Amino acid sequence: MHRLIKISFRLGLVAFVGFVLPRGVGGTVDDAQSFALQAAEPYVKEGFQVREDYWGGDLGSGEKKAVRQQLFKGNEYWFWLGTEVERAKISVHIYDSEGKLAEQPDSWEKGHFAAAHVIPKATSSYFIIVAVEESPEERTHWALVYGFR
Amino acid sequence: MIAFSRTLTVSASVLLGATLCLHAAQAPQRIDVKQMSKQVENVVVPLPNEIFGALNKLGSVNWREYVRTEKSSNFTERPRIALLLGTVIADGFIAVQAEDAPAVKEIGQRVLNLSKGIGVGNSITPHAKAITEAADKRKWEEVRQELDRTQSSVQAAMNEVHDEKLSQLVSLGGWLRGTQVLTSVVTKHFSADGAELLHQPDLLVHFQTELQSMPEFKLPIIRDIQSALGQVKPLVDVGSARISAESVRKINDITTKLDNGIVTKD
Repeated sequence: MHRLIKISFRLGLVAFVGFVLPRGVGGTVDDAQSFALQAAEPYVKEGFQVREDYWGGDLGSGEKKAVRQQLFKGNEYWFWLGTEVERAKISVHIYDSEGKLAEQPDSWEKGHFAAAHVIPKATSSYFIIVAVEESPEERTHWALVYGFR
Repeated sequence: MIAFSRTLTVSASVLLGATLCLHAAQAPQRIDVKQMSKQVENVVVPLPNEIFGALNKLGSVNWREYVRTEKSSNFTERPRIALLLGTVIADGFIAVQAEDAPAVKEIGQRVLNLSKGIGVGNSITPHAKAITEAADKRKWEEVRQELDRTQSSVQAAMNEVHDEKLSQLVSLGGWLRGTQVLTSVVTKHFSADGAELLHQPDLLVHFQTELQSMPEFKLPIIRDIQSALGQVKPLVDVGSARISAESVRKINDITTKLDNGIVTKD
């Protein structure tokens, strides 16, 4: 019951961030994070533990940023990227330490959401590449969260 | 790269629906790692439970053997408290793996006291309460989540007052305790896959770089950790080769000594 109340509260927050705040005005990385978490939510039900920390910033159209992350063989990971700029197009991709694309084919991107799925073949450091492919804004906030099981 | 503390957690999967099941646009099959390395701003430090989860999949582990609740020394130096706090949070994850409710509750209280000692107790009080409640109900997933939130809140509170270096020490303390337990488990039941979990050379470089940026922390334990990371790096930086049982044992010796140094007074 307590969990239900919390979920309802969070749904309210999503609605507020997604629909009440003026679009593209006064957005923050925190807003971007709420969208990244929105993308993550269905996977929580599949047993993924979403890390509390997240990584974010802002990028211009066509710009990329890399996050380097240690992944462990035996775990399965999803990385979710979001932005509050609804007309933006963003992407996230995962490469191994040799620079080879390492993600699963069910990775996806849809407008201001994107996600990449990886089942590491080796315990090693991987590159998570986030990009703002297109955006009507000069700078577009992004936030990346990840989960594992 | 700045790690931001989560302020909102959300649901609303209905907003996504099935339409999200689209394949990603064609991504390059390869990237230039050297080029991309210049764009990397930071390395993400895994939580101990991320490593424990992978370890668990290799075979059952008697986590109760690694549960630790005895009180460590009281420190006044903030870097020492930060290191200890990271270690105690890692102990919390171990107690969750062992499903040991009394230990989880004691550790939750210890985390709160240490947080107060470092001046960030206010942000931890609700988490400590939630940890106790979830442990009483044996809701282990919630306890895990609260421990993650606790570490995130501690570090966010530190970052807010520009104590980023202390925040890094929390991560380092947790990583050291996690590595000590990982190597204990793998030493007892060696497997190549278990040893491979130690293949974390970039994290070692990350911690070495962070410690080099803390010359103001003139503490023997910091110097010991710097020296120890230098000893561990060649043991795990093996490229595509395997990490040997002997290397695992050596890393366990090194991290056990460091752990003793973190929890006890000089």
